[in-house]
Amino acid sequence: MNSNPDAIIIGAGIVGATTALSLTNAGMKVLVIDRGNVATGTTSAGEGNILVSDKAPGPELDLALRSRDAWFEIQEDIGGGFELEAKGGLVVARSEDGLRSLRTLTAAQRIAGIDAQDISITELRALEPHLSHSITDGAFYPQDAQCQPMLAAAHILRATKARGGKFVSGANVTAITTNDGAVTGVVTSQGTFNAPVIVNATGTWAGQIAQLAGSALPIAPRRGFILVSAPTRKIIFHKVYDAEYVANVSSGDADLQSSAVVEGTQSGTILIGASRERVGFQDGIDFEILRILARQAIALFPILADIQLLRAYRGFRPYAPDHLPVIGEDPIFKGFWHNAGHEGAGIGLAPASAQLICDGIFDRPSFMNPTPFAPARFAKAAAS
Amino acid sequence: MELRHQVIVIGGGPAGLNAAKYAANAGCNVALLDSAPRLGGQYWRHTGIESDDQSRHHNFDQGSLLMDAIIANPRITIYPNTTIWSASVINGEVVLRYKDGAFITSRLILATGAYDRSLPFPGWDIPGVMTAGAAQSLLKGSGVIAGKRIVVAGSGPFLLPVAAGLSSHGGKVVGLIEAAGKFAWLPEILSLLQNPAKISEGLGYLLTLRKAKVEMRFKQAVISAHADSDGLLESITVANIDAEFHITSTYSINCDVAAIGWGFTPDTSMAGALGLKEEVAADGSVVVAVDENQRASSAHSELHIFAAGEITGIGGSALSLAEGAIAGLAAADSRTNLRDLKKIRRKARRFALTLQRVYPIALGWKSWLTPETIICRCEEVTHAAIQSAFTELDADDARSAKLMTRCGMGMCQGRICSRNVADLLDSPDADRIKGVYRPIISPITLGELAQDGLL
Amino acid sequence: MITFTFNGVELTAREGQSVAAALIAHNERITRLTRAAGKPRGIFCGIGVCFDCLIIIDGQPNQRSCITEVKAGMVVAVQDGA
Ligand SMILES: Cc1cc2nc3c(=O)[nH]c(=O)nc-3n(C[C@H](O)[C@H](O)[C@H](O)COP(=O)(O)OP(=O)(O)OC[C@H]3O[C@@H](n4cnc5c(N)ncnc54)[C@H](O)[C@@H]3O)c2cc1C
Ligand SMILES: Cc1cc2nc3c(=O)[nH]c(=O)nc-3n(C[C@H](O)[C@H](O)[C@H](O)COP(=O)(O)OP(=O)(O)OC[C@H]3O[C@@H](n4cnc5c(N)ncnc54)[C@H](O)[C@@H]3O)c2cc1C
Ligand code: FES
Repeated sequence: MNSNPDAIIIGAGIVGATTALSLTNAGMKVLVIDRGNVATGTTSAGEGNILVSDKAPGPELDLALRSRDAWFEIQEDIGGGFELEAKGGLVVARSEDGLRSLRTLTAAQRIAGIDAQDISITELRALEPHLSHSITDGAFYPQDAQCQPMLAAAHILRATKARGGKFVSGANVTAITTNDGAVTGVVTSQGTFNAPVIVNATGTWAGQIAQLAGSALPIAPRRGFILVSAPTRKIIFHKVYDAEYVANVSSGDADLQSSAVVEGTQSGTILIGASRERVGFQDGIDFEILRILARQAIALFPILADIQLLRAYRGFRPYAPDHLPVIGEDPIFKGFWHNAGHEGAGIGLAPASAQLICDGIFDRPSFMNPTPFAPARFAKAAAS
Repeated sequence: MELRHQVIVIGGGPAGLNAAKYAANAGCNVALLDSAPRLGGQYWRHTGIESDDQSRHHNFDQGSLLMDAIIANPRITIYPNTTIWSASVINGEVVLRYKDGAFITSRLILATGAYDRSLPFPGWDIPGVMTAGAAQSLLKGSGVIAGKRIVVAGSGPFLLPVAAGLSSHGGKVVGLIEAAGKFAWLPEILSLLQNPAKISEGLGYLLTLRKAKVEMRFKQAVISAHADSDGLLESITVANIDAEFHITSTYSINCDVAAIGWGFTPDTSMAGALGLKEEVAADGSVVVAVDENQRASSAHSELHIFAAGEITGIGGSALSLAEGAIAGLAAADSRTNLRDLKKIRRKARRFALTLQRVYPIALGWKSWLTPETIICRCEEVTHAAIQSAFTELDADDARSAKLMTRCGMGMCQGRICSRNVADLLDSPDADRIKGVYRPIISPITLGELAQDGLL
Repeated sequence: MITFTFNGVELTAREGQSVAAALIAHNERITRLTRAAGKPRGIFCGIGVCFDCLIIIDGQPNQRSCITEVKAGMVVAVQDGA
């Protein structure tokens, strides 16, 4: 590189890619660095759901609502190629209790600005003809969308490069240099790069990168498995899940939580995800979890019993103790920005998170108050 | 159901049969599993009707003796029609799942064999284009001649029994097209003569082919195939090629079947699922790494996992038999002296390497492709799609290419295309090994997966 | 000899043959049409590895015709797409 970039982004997952595009569009010269290739981290394990339905009112929902629209703006901006589709989400209740809490949730969500429709059994059947007959109630969320995350990251990075950004793959960041309380650059397995702004977009590994600079972030892995079926004719039309899922998402429990989210993709496969458990970076496949996911999926759609399972894979969600992403400047080092810890919603939340980081770096007001996501919140929690 | 056995052998081909026999004779209770309804693997594939089987096979006597001995052996339980869909290690034991339960053991012998290696070319997806092994399996397993006008093509000694088998059972083989030169074996003559049995087998096939007036052409390859209005194979374009497999001139042949084989690819999926060490062999295929006693290398050192036959490197049935015997004895902790078996194995391995030198597969096949040529048959991914993922989306490794184009994501899980994609991307060895990892070895239905009470 | 039907037409086969082989014996080579391009496909690897010979057997799609033995009374049909 002839001259130093304005900003270095560590991590070429969906969060790093969208951050790179935002900063580039705002006029900065960016350099994206990853130890692997584009989207070789958790982004390649994500299902690509862009959900508003699974969030209760609060800062994360505000972020999700903006992000959902921002996805379609990115598609406009760079020309798509990543299977973005507003297919709509269907949340079903399978018990009296489940139904009661679902109705409470949709009421609150409507106030927060989500199009959450309580629907009747006839509408339910019209939306998903193969749904189990034991299911009689649900809510429909037309805003729920989806994309193919790896393709999204790759296309966003392609556009970034076309607009002057650079990407170095296979460069492991081993040190972050600082001077007088501000970051100055990164040392990698492929040389040293300097810039006054460094964005830590390393997802599940963001704690390690923070440490390299001498700061800290409490981000841990939360493992998840996904099942992929053989291609079939179209039998599932939306993203369908049990209302229980919403409770699992926000659970702080380390044990296994699982409630199947079932959806058909443009490639004809059916995705069934996803379990959640905090077991560190534990490798291998846990077949008991695969069996649970299969059971739950069949409970929603009995027709799935005859569909073949083709693949199964796992990923590690970047998880912060309060389930909120970490978006903002490091409390210790100037110019060091974190954009990480999006847990099971990083694909959905990436574009708006990038916008918050960009507005932060340019020190201008954004679409929402970023304070709930500030990295400083952990330092405060530790102090008190 | 959970079934425990002292030694479990997966694969009932030459390697697995011999492994089961030797382990049982050394005193172990053995389970022999195969997804096929009958034992024999690829080499001794048979219809089970005696009159057919004797006539269609070279060396079937040896196979039927071995299979009869195994069926009669009280220490061996045979599980036919049993496909293992996943394998993992739980509490220091190997768990092998089939659709209604699991086999459990601490001594496992993998002998899952190989399948034909295919090279892509325009039209290779037209019905009528098939592997040489497919034509062979139709004949040996079902007694059916693959077509009315058959071209056998590709490279390697396997083309001879295929063409000879078809023509001696009434099939019309309108050409045997070999990529190597007519005298490619000459520089290796001394080492070939070390194996007179194989040489005489080969000469026998040549005699059959001459009697049937099958024309053999050398330094040629099938580089495209053409369909009739029904979409079925009507003709092929054959090219004269140089040593790099680049085209020098072309002509065409009318045929309804082109049975094409470029050697074999080991099926190491089960070894990969168990995390066994794999490596790239001299011929470029990914194989299971084994020691002197056919033992594979696992992070779980308490386990005794062995691999034998084509999954440790392509070498034919004689090598598979020797490796199977050694693995069987080693798995049984037998104190039998392995020296003689190891000598046979050494000789067979040397012969296999010689053949690989005689029939090399050069990368010039890439020049046969057009942008529209299908590379991944399952997901219908074209050469152009892979190229554009490479140039525009930084998909320069097999995994990225797969996730961005879907090549290798279909029903065969990359078994047919992953090697070719790795060659197209000039992938390093580590990438090739990762590229064959598939935790679900064979598809099962979600209903089967969802059953209660299974491991 | 046994009989089975293919796309509604009755065909004969020998016991122990694979479905694919029984079809080829009657010069029926197309087992499925592909999902994206609608192109015909038939047997390719012959041993259950490539999944190109997929076909509908007794109402179940995605069956490998090369490794499934034909049975009397089987109802076999070309698989159109997935
Ligand atoms: C099973 C599962 C299902 C999911 N489903 C969804 C879903 O449907 N919708 C949704 O929105 N989210 C989903 N998620 C979550 C989503 O995948 C993540 O939140 C998101 O991918 C995080 O993106 P990221 O860019 O922060 O991290 P990553 O994609 O992990 O990117 C981080 C990058 O940093 C690089 N890196 C790390 N350390 C270094 C270093 N030292 N030097 C250089 N580079 C480094 C890594 O190589 C990696 O490429 C799911 C997650 C899982 C596991
Ligand atoms: C189609 C084909 C035809 C061939 N024909 C000949 C020939 O005529 N002459 C010749 O000399 N060589 C032939 N070969 C070469 C052949 O590979 C060797 O001769 C020899 O059969 C290899 O022996 P093996 O024991 O290593 O493997 P194989 O004979 O391939 O046996 C492997 C066995 O493992 C079983 N298996 C694999 N995975 C699983 C699983 N997940 N669960 C349960 N069972 C499983 C398979 O069903 C198979 O029976 C052929 C190869 C192929 C692919
Ligand atoms: S022909 Fe390959 S699976 Fe049947």
